[in-house]
Amino acid sequence: MTKQLDLLDIQGNVIRAYGRFGYPVARYVFLNIRNAARARTFVGKLTKKVTTATQWGDGIGQVKKPVWTVNVAFTYQGLKELEVPRESLMNFAPEFAAGMKARRDILGDDGPSAPELWDPIWQENRETRDKDVHIFVSLNASAPGWPANGRDLIETSYEQLELAWQWLKDIVAQHGGGVVILGGNVGDNGALLDYQDCKVVMEQGKPTAKEHFGYTDGIGDPVFEGVPYDTDRVNGRGKQLENQQWAPLATGEFLLGHIDEAKEYPPAPNPVLLSRNGTYMIYRKLHENVATFDAYLDEHGSKYPGGKELLAAKFVGRWRDNGAPLVKAPDAASKAVFDKQLAVADKEGQDELLCNFTYDADMSGAKCPFSAHIRRINPRASLQMISEPGDPPGSLKNSVGAFDTPGALTNRRRVLRRGLPYGDVKDRTRDDGNHGIIIMMLNSDINRQFEFVQQQWINYGNDFKAGNDKEILLGNHSVDDRFPSKAVLQVEPTGNDTPYILSKIPRLVETRGGDYFFVPSLTALRMIAKGLIDPT
Amino acid sequence: MGSNISGSAYALTILSPIRNGVVPGQEIAFADKVRDTLQNWNLLINSPMTKVPQTYLCRYFVLDDVYTQSLPGGSALDTLIDFLPIVPDSLRKWAMPTEDHLQSRYLVFSCNFHGGPNGDVDGYLQGMWNAISSNIREVWGYCYGFEKVHDAASFATYMKQCQLTASLFFVGSNDEPLPEQLKALYLKQEFARFAVANQGLDAATVRANYLAFSQRVKPTDLNGPTWVPGQYRL
Repeated sequence: MTKQLDLLDIQGNVIRAYGRFGYPVARYVFLNIRNAARARTFVGKLTKKVTTATQWGDGIGQVKKPVWTVNVAFTYQGLKELEVPRESLMNFAPEFAAGMKARRDILGDDGPSAPELWDPIWQENRETRDKDVHIFVSLNASAPGWPANGRDLIETSYEQLELAWQWLKDIVAQHGGGVVILGGNVGDNGALLDYQDCKVVMEQGKPTAKEHFGYTDGIGDPVFEGVPYDTDRVNGRGKQLENQQWAPLATGEFLLGHIDEAKEYPPAPNPVLLSRNGTYMIYRKLHENVATFDAYLDEHGSKYPGGKELLAAKFVGRWRDNGAPLVKAPDAASKAVFDKQLAVADKEGQDELLCNFTYDADMSGAKCPFSAHIRRINPRASLQMISEPGDPPGSLKNSVGAFDTPGALTNRRRVLRRGLPYGDVKDRTRDDGNHGIIIMMLNSDINRQFEFVQQQWINYGNDFKAGNDKEILLGNHSVDDRFPSKAVLQVEPTGNDTPYILSKIPRLVETRGGDYFFVPSLTALRMIAKGLIDPT
Repeated sequence: MGSNISGSAYALTILSPIRNGVVPGQEIAFADKVRDTLQNWNLLINSPMTKVPQTYLCRYFVLDDVYTQSLPGGSALDTLIDFLPIVPDSLRKWAMPTEDHLQSRYLVFSCNFHGGPNGDVDGYLQGMWNAISSNIREVWGYCYGFEKVHDAASFATYMKQCQLTASLFFVGSNDEPLPEQLKALYLKQEFARFAVANQGLDAATVRANYLAFSQRVKPTDLNGPTWVPGQYRL
């Protein structure tokens, strides 16, 4: 039967990408615990205000959509400082206990992405106890009255965000030094701030879902079972079935205490009430080198046969202007047809056009390259590719029936993506401004899902028969003459075109900090606050 | 006599479906509120249930859903299908057991009490209502059908409608009425202390001390001195 989730027990940011629900600005705050008992009281106070995943409505017995939201998460150290019992702590995932910094080799955080160069808050984290990041609080604000008020969206929503921030500072102050807000988040002109601010990128006074390179983010975010407001968004976002249909992914891929794609419960700490309806969050601050990106795109765009915009689309697998997938719109002519369809489609139709596709007709990567962002992050059913004697060189085809289900190699590597861009690009000829994205990824198993994708699919290409080519946008590229990064843009194996090789790809995105967090359910938050976690 | 009666001990199991809904003015589901209320009892000096006469042991919890043990089936048909690769995947999957879920969340109350040889459930439940009706309202107030409860008799009727006649016995209690058991525990503890204090003394002194001990602990007086209900530490 259809699964019903206890939405009032699940934190809102797990189910909702707030940006998509009318919250254009956010502030992420990190706290250090100085006194366990007072910190627990603080968590209890916070919990009363935490935004759940419930469906909003104005009717009787319904929860109204909040003007601003509050969500909370803890690092391993944080849970320890809150005196969660040792036996419970021992059952958290080892990579969660170790933290992001310790996993640098797996994540490829080297060179300009190395922890020694991260924002001070992240450099100092896990070095000395009083600088450890223990608690994460996220505040997202909407813009009541906009656009009728005739004012700027960001300005309107920042007023609400300031109220939320003041509320948080007040309750921190009420807890007599039990917790302190950590500084050291780098803002504009190198200023060190007590928070990380984020906001959507605006175009002509309207909010977009774009990041600073100009791509629309988060279109293909996974859909899983039990989320009532995602039921019409399954096609292209769930899992591919044999009969060409789509189904939501198993809840347990994203929420602990639920059956996952292997038909079992993901490993989680005891007691069940501590982990059920909770999940792990990967927080990463990613700086975007806009000048390097523009220069590289210009340099190759002038040489690439399809032109600059098609090349930009090849980096990601989607066109920059409207997110049209290359699989459906592989060249200018097909793009024009797609645009016409998109213009007249209703909301559901647009969603189908943007999301409902497979790589079945592009197994050789001629339309969407193997190293393009969306193909690496979510290969759909395209990984079981084979070539047989007699096939044209460079030709790959789907090994039908090799696995139980077409998504067998992909369904356990999916990751929910949340977050927003930060900063403004004031000068596109410079890399060193304050601009990038804060990405928060959610999954049940950090190692199996996020870390695997990061290590094997973003920074390595073997699963895509692409050797050690990295994902074009996020890969930890090097222009070092000994090991220069490259990526191949494939062409139809039977055609006359030659593949285009992107040579010496520079580092386009750099890690500036982050860590692994546990996002508890509301029940678990209440129990942590009362000191009632009992694993026996 | 049901399987939930053993001697004079009665194993009472109650499953009350909790209504779907949100506590007005709070972003908390009824079932989560019930759990929160029950968990707050942990912060009290002792559980309100200690005020309920004749309670041996009891446990409350909120049942969110059933837990799936495993899915790959163990039937003869599955095994046969697994050995025959000729059987298509669709048929193999069709033979897999389905995943079940509860229609509602439940408040589970599992309790062992002294019910006498005939298992006096009504007497126990009415005693429970008379002792802690405000706590009962707080905990059961969000359950289906509880609006019909307004006194001890209607509470007993409601609870029996929610009763599962399973024999969930806790270990560690005998048949005797609760005051007898509490007195016995008290005496056992006091006597152990007496034995330690009198080790190695001559017989006459021990005898004199025992007389004084016996007068102090009053072995046949159930009213005291004795343990209080809910006492679990020395």
